[in-house]
Amino acid sequence: MIKFIHSSDLHLGKAFGLFPRDVQVRLRQARADVLPRLAALAKDHAASHILLAGDTFDQTTPAPSVIRQALNMMRVADHVTWVLMPGNHDHANATELWRQAAQDAPPNVVLQLKPEPYVLTANVTLLPAPSTERNPGRDLTEWFDSAATSETLRVGLAHGSVTDFNASEDGASSIIAPDRARRAGLSYLGLGDWHGQLQIGPETWYSGAPEADGFKHAQTPSVLLVEIAGKTAPAIVTSLPTGTINWQRATLDLTGVADCSAMHKAMLPPLPDRAMTLFDLLITGRVGPLARVALEQAIAKVKPDFLWHRTDWTGLGLVHDTADLDAIDRQGALRATAEVLANESADDTLSPEARKTAQAALSHLFSFALEE
Amino acid sequence: MKLLALHLTNVRKFTGKRASIAGISDGITVVSEANEFGKSTFFDAIYALFFEKFSSSAKSVKSLQPYAGGAVEVAADVETEDGSFRVEKRFLSRKAAKISRLPDGAVVAQDDEAERWISSLLGSASEGPAGLLWVRQGLVGLEPDSAKEKSQLMETRRDLLSSVAGEIDAMTGGRRMDRVMRRVADSLGEITTKTGRKTGAWKATSDEVGVLEAEFNSVTTQVQALDKALTDRRQAEASLKRLDNADAKARRGDAFAAAKDAMDQAHAYAGAVTTARQDCDLAGLKAKSSETELDAFLKAIETLQTAEKQARDSSDEANEANQWANRLKTALDKARNVHKNAIDAVAETRRQLNVSRHQIAARKAKAEATHLESQITKAEIALGERDVARAIAKASLATPEWFRQAELAQGEVSKCNAAVEAQVTTLRMAYDGTARITQNGAIVPADQHITLDGETLFDLPGIGRMAIHAQAVGEEGRARLATAKGSLKNILSQAGASTLLEARTLAAARAEAETKAHLAQAVLDTLAPNGTEAMRAAKADADLAATGAHESELPAIASLETHLTQAEQAEEKARGLLSSTDVEHASARETSIKLRAAAETAERALEQAKADAGPEETRDSRRAERLRLQLQSQQALTEAEAELQALITAAPDLDTAKAGLKRAEDAVNAAVQERAQVSERLAALSSEIRTLAGNGIEERRDELAGHLEAANAAEAQFAQQVAALTRLQSALDAERDAARDTYFGPVQEELKPLLSILHRDAALSFDSDSLLPSGLLRDHAEETLDDLSGGTKEQIAILTRLAFARLFARQGRHMPIILDDALVYSDDDRIIKMFTALTRVAQGQQIIVFSCRQLAFQDLGGARPKIEVVDV
Repeated sequence: MIKFIHSSDLHLGKAFGLFPRDVQVRLRQARADVLPRLAALAKDHAASHILLAGDTFDQTTPAPSVIRQALNMMRVADHVTWVLMPGNHDHANATELWRQAAQDAPPNVVLQLKPEPYVLTANVTLLPAPSTERNPGRDLTEWFDSAATSETLRVGLAHGSVTDFNASEDGASSIIAPDRARRAGLSYLGLGDWHGQLQIGPETWYSGAPEADGFKHAQTPSVLLVEIAGKTAPAIVTSLPTGTINWQRATLDLTGVADCSAMHKAMLPPLPDRAMTLFDLLITGRVGPLARVALEQAIAKVKPDFLWHRTDWTGLGLVHDTADLDAIDRQGALRATAEVLANESADDTLSPEARKTAQAALSHLFSFALEE
Repeated sequence: MKLLALHLTNVRKFTGKRASIAGISDGITVVSEANEFGKSTFFDAIYALFFEKFSSSAKSVKSLQPYAGGAVEVAADVETEDGSFRVEKRFLSRKAAKISRLPDGAVVAQDDEAERWISSLLGSASEGPAGLLWVRQGLVGLEPDSAKEKSQLMETRRDLLSSVAGEIDAMTGGRRMDRVMRRVADSLGEITTKTGRKTGAWKATSDEVGVLEAEFNSVTTQVQALDKALTDRRQAEASLKRLDNADAKARRGDAFAAAKDAMDQAHAYAGAVTTARQDCDLAGLKAKSSETELDAFLKAIETLQTAEKQARDSSDEANEANQWANRLKTALDKARNVHKNAIDAVAETRRQLNVSRHQIAARKAKAEATHLESQITKAEIALGERDVARAIAKASLATPEWFRQAELAQGEVSKCNAAVEAQVTTLRMAYDGTARITQNGAIVPADQHITLDGETLFDLPGIGRMAIHAQAVGEEGRARLATAKGSLKNILSQAGASTLLEARTLAAARAEAETKAHLAQAVLDTLAPNGTEAMRAAKADADLAATGAHESELPAIASLETHLTQAEQAEEKARGLLSSTDVEHASARETSIKLRAAAETAERALEQAKADAGPEETRDSRRAERLRLQLQSQQALTEAEAELQALITAAPDLDTAKAGLKRAEDAVNAAVQERAQVSERLAALSSEIRTLAGNGIEERRDELAGHLEAANAAEAQFAQQVAALTRLQSALDAERDAARDTYFGPVQEELKPLLSILHRDAALSFDSDSLLPSGLLRDHAEETLDDLSGGTKEQIAILTRLAFARLFARQGRHMPIILDDALVYSDDDRIIKMFTALTRVAQGQQIIVFSCRQLAFQDLGGARPKIEVVDV
């Protein structure tokens, strides 16, 4: 009876300021490229609608170019109807955004700014619950229960976290009832806000973001193809991968590891994927200075393979024995310096900051001494 | 090893000779000879003996050969732990080396074996300790110029210090340490300046943080402005909706109509109140008028009574005052007469006194005129005498100068005359008997000088004739005499004299005339200091003042003056009486006039009061009528006031009604105005929002927040990196310094007592590359050796060698110190201190000093062998 694509959290216009300029451009472009990909999927799967469950835009006042280019992209994909609903990032009170969107929207774009039933097709009514504010503080889907939609099939669209969650994606409180679909007689409730794909109930789904924007969720970014044959038929939900950038956060725990470099090598993504991978490496445990130097060199070697690579060494402690210090020198001032710094880094009477500085100084000493 | 003796055969200047130095002591030995005596030859020969192979033809060996050529032989007697030996080598010809035991001459080793024996003795294949301890002439610093020698000595020092303290590289970390320190410095230098300030990537990151913060704050402000504008626009839209609400509009219209009705009603009441208030005011005016008329009538009656009494009293007082004024007028006239008489008496007495005083003055002037006449006569006589004397003096030319010239001319005549006379031969006869000499028959008188001129014949009776030939007087003397006489005559004639006596008389006469003129002038100055004309003018004045003088008797001045005083006192008394009477009379008269005026005023007031009170016969009826009218008007006023009050109480408050109407009207107008303002505000806000939102500032803010977070993290990493590198650098510095201190400890220990002889509390710093002193630490400052004077540098070089020698000795490697013409720059004070240092080290250390400074090195002490030279 109806086939549509459910997606959310495109966060068009997100800045990604933490990253270098070149990476930032790549990430922004990847998000913009999601729209034609969705259109293509809709075409491939003969979906009539693409329902975006909030946070299509990252801000309440995105740059006009972001709005215009998104709408232009939708205009081109006129084989499908785009249904846009405000989320907490682009809430309905973002009057300027939605005023401009309303002004520039092509005929195949529908804005759902009010909690009113909307006739998707002759037999399908959409019940939208647009976010009114950044933190609405109430369950905006409550009206679904009593919404009059005659005998049509009911599809709900909302943005926020269900009560099972402690918080939404960005920490805002939200309280969508997890059994809202059942209580409101919905054939399907499409949710947005959670960037990872997640099924809450038989007919309740978070589509997740079609392109990742952080290291939080491990699964491949996807959209949901939803097919509902009739009012009493169950919704058939298919996940379709859409992500192009791989956000990978990995922890390398070196406690008790003999060959650190080998372990590091084993955890790396395949070579062809690295150019599209943001690799955030957290190193923990304790190793000897020689092993650390070797690891540093190994990481430095593979770092250029990645779109972006970061190593967090703060979780890694240094252990050293006589053999380690011998690598610097067996005697003399250089050895004495290493011993002084090693003692300082383990001296509990010193401040943590001083110990940390001594440890870093010792690491430098190892690096410089072993550069031959 | 100790040197006992040295022997050179056929070496340089010792061609065909053998030169020896024997008797070298265990301590200090000074070989002090003049220049060119061969001291340096000995030094070079010893070097060759110990460090050149016997087979060598090196330049240093060849330099030992004399011009005549031949084999060069060098030998040294040495004492070792194994006994005493002679070490000898022959160079360049029939080359050979030999070691022989001294007591018995037994050969211990020859040629190559002898060389090995020497190497073993020196403990090194190279120059070894000798290179450090043997200082050739001209080397005042620590190192020789030659790179090869430098390198050899460096190795020797390294061997020595390493043997007593350990390998320096092992202790200081060597090249690896250098590389690490350089890497640390380079790494730090990439991000910090020498003073610790940020540079390079760190500074760029820090600057970026600053720029990002500024932009972030700016954009955040814009975002806040955008949020506010959006909020304001929502509020404005709500306001507009509220203003356009139909119910609200109707409420405002109803309120306005009600307020207008209330206003009309209040206006009606207000008109009635105004009319009643006007009636009330009119009644009040009438009541007031009635009361005023009654009061005026009663007051006129009372005023009349008062005026009658006032008129009577005033008239009585005026009469009484007039009488008193008349009495005082009489007394005043009398006082005026008395005063006039007193004035007249004073005038008469004063006139008489003036007449008497004038007569006395005239008589005095007359006597003065007579005296002046006498003085004028005397002055005129003196004037005549002065003029006569002046004329005489002026006519005479016999001035004192002239007379002095005449005297001088007379003196010249006398002098010339005497000269002439001196040239004349004279003859004076003195007879004892009776016989007389005659000339030309005349007896030559006795006792007279007879002038002889030319040949003169005398007859000597009984004897014969005697001719005396006298020389003639010179013409020149005579001419001078004539000139002097002429000059005298000329001078005398100037004043009319012919002789000096006459001249004296004339000069005396002139002097007398001048004296007389002076005396007469003095008399004149006394009699008429201001001149005779002034005296005549004074006399004329006196004559004038004497006019009227007579000889009649005059009354006594004192009596007249007493009389005048009495008259003046009487006049003053009369004047006082007149004045007081006059004042009293004027006062009485004024009082009389005032009282009269008051009486007239009272009379007029009485007349006016009578007029005001009206006829006396109708006064009661008029009083009753006025009283009735007053009561009637008061009653009308009370009634009008009651009516007004009733209206006021019943009327609505007009101001309140006005306020109500105004409020309702304002509400309507305000709504209209507010709507216009809100519409305008909405347009402005929409424009502002479009502008701000059009820049994508929210996106930019998020982007900047990300950049800022990344930049802050990067800067924190730089800070941590700098802290770590700085800590590493300080730890490396500290450990290397400590290693150096340990390494150089032994030599420092040996140097310290020696250095303190020259510089109290001073120390030397060492360079770990050259292993030599690099600076002198004194007075809390370090001076590099290059900055020190030549003398100090030379002293430090020797002290360092002494310290090295001590270190060798501590290892059992005793080597003599040989100094060839060292201490060339040291002053007297320092050289003595250096002798002390040398003497201190010489306790168990052989020191051989070659010096040409025989006098300066006298104080060094020690053995003093001579160079013995013999033919071979």
